Amino acid sequence: MTTDDSAPTSTVDDQPAGFGDNLSNPVNQRAYRSAIVGFVIATIGGLISAWAYANGDTDRLLGIGIAIAFGGIGFGLVSWAKYLDLDDNVVQHRSRLRTTEEERQDFDEEMVMTGETVGRRKLLVALFAGSVGSLAVAFIGPIGSLGPKPDGQLKHTGWSAGRRLVTSEGAPISLDEGRLDQLATVFPEGEIGRDDSQVILLRVKPEILTQRTIDGGSVEGWVAYSKICTHAGCSVGLFGIDDREPDVTRQLLCPCHQSAFDPIDGAKPVGGPAPRSLPQLPMAVDDEGFLIATSDFDRPVGPITWTEG
Amino acid sequence: MARGVVERYVDSVTSRTGGGSWLTKNLRKVFPSHFSFLWGELALYSLIVLIASGTYLTMFFEGSQDVVTYQGSYVPLQGQEVSAAYDSVMRISYEVKGGLFIRQMHHWAALLFIASIAMHMARIYFTGAFRRPRDINWYVGITLLVLALAAGFTGYSLPDDLLSGTGVRITYAIILALPLIGEQLAFLIFGGEWPGTDIVGRLYPVHILVVPALIVGVLAVHLALVWHQKHTQFKGPGRTEDNVVGERVWPAFAMKSIGLMFFVAAAVSAMAAIFEINPIWLYGPYDSGAATSLSQPDWYIGFLEGSLRLMPPWETRIGGFVINNIFYSGVVVSAAIFGGLYAVPLIERKLTGDNRDHHLLDRPRDAPWRTAIGAASIAAVGILFIGGAQDVVARTFDMPMATVTRVLQFSFLVVPPIVLVLTRRICIALRDRPGPANSERRVPIERSADGGYGVASEDSENAISEESHS
Repeated sequence: MTTDDSAPTSTVDDQPAGFGDNLSNPVNQRAYRSAIVGFVIATIGGLISAWAYANGDTDRLLGIGIAIAFGGIGFGLVSWAKYLDLDDNVVQHRSRLRTTEEERQDFDEEMVMTGETVGRRKLLVALFAGSVGSLAVAFIGPIGSLGPKPDGQLKHTGWSAGRRLVTSEGAPISLDEGRLDQLATVFPEGEIGRDDSQVILLRVKPEILTQRTIDGGSVEGWVAYSKICTHAGCSVGLFGIDDREPDVTRQLLCPCHQSAFDPIDGAKPVGGPAPRSLPQLPMAVDDEGFLIATSDFDRPVGPITWTEG
Repeated sequence: MARGVVERYVDSVTSRTGGGSWLTKNLRKVFPSHFSFLWGELALYSLIVLIASGTYLTMFFEGSQDVVTYQGSYVPLQGQEVSAAYDSVMRISYEVKGGLFIRQMHHWAALLFIASIAMHMARIYFTGAFRRPRDINWYVGITLLVLALAAGFTGYSLPDDLLSGTGVRITYAIILALPLIGEQLAFLIFGGEWPGTDIVGRLYPVHILVVPALIVGVLAVHLALVWHQKHTQFKGPGRTEDNVVGERVWPAFAMKSIGLMFFVAAAVSAMAAIFEINPIWLYGPYDSGAATSLSQPDWYIGFLEGSLRLMPPWETRIGGFVINNIFYSGVVVSAAIFGGLYAVPLIERKLTGDNRDHHLLDRPRDAPWRTAIGAASIAAVGILFIGGAQDVVARTFDMPMATVTRVLQFSFLVVPPIVLVLTRRICIALRDRPGPANSERRVPIERSADGGYGVASEDSENAISEESHS
């Protein structure tokens, strides 16, 4: 509107704007006609919406009608304002914002008075502050009720010695049923769906596993790791294999922040922001030939917390 | 002359409140106009759309994680166990006539709300409008940005779908990573170990009561300050530090501004009607065992997502304790960004020693250092934003993920300084170049009586040059 070139007219501050009919000017005439068109289109838009709702088109046409109605009104109003063509170079004086010396002294006097009245009884001031403080202390309890005190919940999962690994349908895993390089999500039997106990189970050729992975409790090429990322706790749900010889690589990948882990070597982090390896679930085979856990994880699962130093 | 109905009713209020002259004075208030002053209005009107559409949604939404069996009309999910929250959002989307439209309107308006706040903030920054006396309103404005992000995040998390549930879980991990108090605080907020059964029911009142009440309260202060301090204006003929040149609020300015409100509502409605957003039926209900690739949060969380993805796997051990790297990427980076934003007026005052009142705006080129620092900061946050979708980048350009991550980490360190130097040089070059008023001689054209055109006479040329230099 106001660009560099238009010098302000000398309208006197705080006087009403002058008015007259502008229709003789072709520009204003066009704005006047635009306003008419805008409001008419808006009315049509509203009616379209009502028709759309009545005829069951409540997803698209209803919304388009409403959009037309809103847009038409907006267009009409802006055109109307253009048609009015009022002075856009009115000059108004800015009032002073800074405190004057007199105002400052007035306030200072007020503060001196406060010191001499309220501030005189130091005991009351201290007691008042103390009582408000104790009130705050009184509310700590109810606020604490929002959640339980951490009491080792993060250190334990549903796994324990002898627990079978079962799929989310509840089927136990037989030692010799798995196909190589296929990922499954398993839970402790009886606690399917328990969040902190989700485990990824993978079977690979036993000879490619590193010694520490075997020591960590793998069984004939079966390896199991906590599915919860040590970075931010998402589910490490992706498995990728690049089997072009000679450098065959296998990776577990967390889709949230792209942390990668090496399942062949104790799920150590090999890329992305995760700082630590996924805890490994030690396994054995029971009498019926199904995979079982031999204990809980040896450390907390999930994102690393302050106490895991 | 007999007074009309409006006059009499307004008078019946003003003569009881003593607001007679106040009202007239404010109707005659002058506002300068420039297209860049519209961003703040855009944010305001997006908020109005948000409050109206959000109120409608609360009539149907259930903030509960109780497990129910989905029995709605979306066939692929029928019979599946979902939370009551998810079920109610599905009901809004499929059963409530017009519900999907209002829901999509709410989501689009939220994206627009934060985008226009960001643009508004950039305008304030690059024109130096945050300087005294408006530094006080800058702090209020940054608080509004933080509140807007809180509103966005809490709202986005409510449907309890796979994508948003994953976001909440990451938030849990970030809280857990806080030194000393992390575990206690996470348990307090989530009502126990992840995921618990409380968090959706807790985010709901925060989203529809606590945060909106704060936004409306802080916004009232923000607008009252704009009104009382009077708007800034760009330099120009007749414009000084002591005046404000523009249009009166009533009627044309108000009509245009209200017209803009309708345009915002129109744009949001059109997007809601035409473009699908947050199709939670495709994501499915939240299941802690599941996760999808190519999952990005709403755009305004992108910087945080990128920070989490690009941070190297560092952890700090201190005497038996440890700080996980999401403390750095989640908490420290956010604190640095928002702390930096809050500190802008202080830093500028420190560097320039300028404590005067400013009502005339700078062009960005007029303050090369300020503009360069702003551009470099935007570049840094922009790289974090790209980092939040590094898997999309890797897939689009068919590059290995590790390479993309490396390049982005490197860029984060290198690009902002380059942008800083370049922007500063460009600003200086632009500033020192003679402006159009001096470089181009304006030749007025006059139409003669017989219909031909020609160079105007000396007098009229003088008249124009006088005007543009007055």
